[in-house]
Amino acid sequence: MKNWIEAFSVIDFISVGILLTAVAMNAFRRLESCVRTYTVNSWLLSSLIAIVAFMIGETHLYIAAALTLVTKGILLPVFLRRIVKQMKVTHDVEPYINNALSLTISGILVAVVYASLSVGIFVSGFSKNVLQISIAVILIGLFIMITRRKAITQVIGLLFMENGLFLAGFSLTFGMPTIIELGVLFDMLMGVIILGIFAIQIKRVFTSSDLDKLTILKG
Amino acid sequence: MIAILLIPLVTAALCYALRSAKTLGYISFLGTVVLAAVAVPKVLASFSAPAEAMKGVLYMDSVSGYIMAMVIFLGLASALYSIGYLEHELKVGLTDLTGMRRYYALLHIFIFTMLLVTTANNLALMWIAVEATTIVSAVLIGFGFRKRAMAIEAAWKYIILCSVGITFALLGTFITYYASTAVMGTEGALNWTALKNIAGELNPSTMKLAFIFVLVGYGTKAGLAPIHNWLPDAHSEAPSPISALLSGILLNTAFYGIMRFVSIVEPSTGDVFTGNLLILFGLISIGISSVFILVQDNYKRLLAYSSIEHMGIISLGVGIGGPLGIYGALLHILNHALSKPLMFFASGKIQARYGSTRIENVSGVLSSMPLLGTLTFIGTLSLAGTPPFNIFISEFTILKAGVDKGLWPAVALFLLFAVVVFYGILAGFGRMLFEGAEKLKKAAPEDKGEAVAKVLDFPDMLGSGIMIVMAFCIIALGVSIPDFIDHAIRNCVAVLGVR
Repeated sequence: MKNWIEAFSVIDFISVGILLTAVAMNAFRRLESCVRTYTVNSWLLSSLIAIVAFMIGETHLYIAAALTLVTKGILLPVFLRRIVKQMKVTHDVEPYINNALSLTISGILVAVVYASLSVGIFVSGFSKNVLQISIAVILIGLFIMITRRKAITQVIGLLFMENGLFLAGFSLTFGMPTIIELGVLFDMLMGVIILGIFAIQIKRVFTSSDLDKLTILKG
Repeated sequence: MIAILLIPLVTAALCYALRSAKTLGYISFLGTVVLAAVAVPKVLASFSAPAEAMKGVLYMDSVSGYIMAMVIFLGLASALYSIGYLEHELKVGLTDLTGMRRYYALLHIFIFTMLLVTTANNLALMWIAVEATTIVSAVLIGFGFRKRAMAIEAAWKYIILCSVGITFALLGTFITYYASTAVMGTEGALNWTALKNIAGELNPSTMKLAFIFVLVGYGTKAGLAPIHNWLPDAHSEAPSPISALLSGILLNTAFYGIMRFVSIVEPSTGDVFTGNLLILFGLISIGISSVFILVQDNYKRLLAYSSIEHMGIISLGVGIGGPLGIYGALLHILNHALSKPLMFFASGKIQARYGSTRIENVSGVLSSMPLLGTLTFIGTLSLAGTPPFNIFISEFTILKAGVDKGLWPAVALFLLFAVVVFYGILAGFGRMLFEGAEKLKKAAPEDKGEAVAKVLDFPDMLGSGIMIVMAFCIIALGVSIPDFIDHAIRNCVAVLGVR
């Protein structure tokens, strides 16, 4: 099994999958597709952790994988889907820039990350691509946050950033101690729930889920 | 130490369970009194010897104790002030019993998260606590969000910007973990107690990268420019007691994180790298906020920008470094934690009286509300950095540290901005305090009667009482620094490992 994983470089495949799902976010028009993409991304992240756990035989990484799966892979997507339904928004993402341009920019972001980290101050743990990919995912998440109009897409962008962050932390150090990871995940879960509540409030008070309307406070 | 963390949680649960609007505030106040009674001996003990709890997960040295003392004092002040504030909100129909229960419960959870920041030994646990403060306080800012669109906007901006910022801080923490596991293995590799012993052996270029991420991350939370945009919105839209907590202590707990990292990063990278970054961010913050203070027409936002300015000054002090610079920065944290909440408390009362947060709509505060006016005047002078008030002393200390090190460009810029801020704050609040006294005298007499009735109100008197205490502290600290505070700050400087 271990030989098989190494021979087919499964770890690299999965991490590329994580990158591709992040890039694909730029192309989707419907909010439901975005949530689904995030789900796939989280499942890939979780399975990556599980495979590495199998390769190096660390029990605490299995726990980390399970935690990631439950929170990011199941709870958050279910919650996000409910929010999308409750908001009854037109289900389009409505980005500020068109999809082709935003795909191009994400591509450039990935290239920039690879170029700037190629000299490398890090000796990475199990695959030399994972750190670059994780930083790229963080940047793409940030990019999604600033170019989308809907409140809920900002939340999804933030979640992508955090997935990238987990991947980065994981590639650097084989994960934090379990209790810390539990705390971080709990914080994130609470944060997203609060953001979801606020998103519904924005919809109710501003009668729109567009963040363009949030311009009362200035200077 | 565990008791200190448990008390606010128990109080929060009690407040949420209670169903009487009258007693709610007093129970919450009682909770903070018990907390203070339990914590004061621990804080005093921490100044002489560090303490551990839960197998080293929690750790308290003089820096933790110093910040914790402020959290507890301001928690107490804010709980006391909240009683009158919420009673007024209830009277004018801005909130209801459910809202009050939620408010008090969240207030105490907020205090709990800040206490956790100061006692966490593990840097990742500290991160978790800082993120938790963001989440809890975001809900507190949106308190009463069914009524005000602005509060939702402020809370949304706040939670989004701070979450993104703090994500970078976590990346910085991961990188630190990576650097420290290379030296000492995984056991306790993020513990402050372990890290400070091996700080000199960490890989300098890795730590440089980590520090940049941490500075950006916690800097966002501490309100350092250029990522300060959330701060004026959040501070001006939050309920006044919460603004006081946000500005007086939340910013400082975030900055506390930066200070911890500085003392870990400095031994390997040298103090020029961290110092220059902090001076740069500090000066940008002071500069940007001074301009906004000058043109501001909303007094709560003016106070918020003043917070950015003071965080900039603290950052400048730590950046200049040396025992004197750090001493000045720590003293400034204390002074700011006294003056700014006083001003937010006062502005809450002014807002309740005049029903507006615009400077042009408020006039003659000093003649219509003599006590409040005097307190506001003291706070204004202190914030502007006038001698003989407390903030002047700490600003002067930082300035002296800068001159001693020969950092003339930074000193010159700081002085220039300080002059601008001095004018901006005095012009803004001077107008509110002194102008239009005649106009007010001609106003309807029943208006005055209402004001008199208000002064005699018991919960309101409690709020005024704590404000008088704070004003007294401001003057006392301006005249001379008591020995025990001096001793505490000297210990903190030693803990932060300044050579």
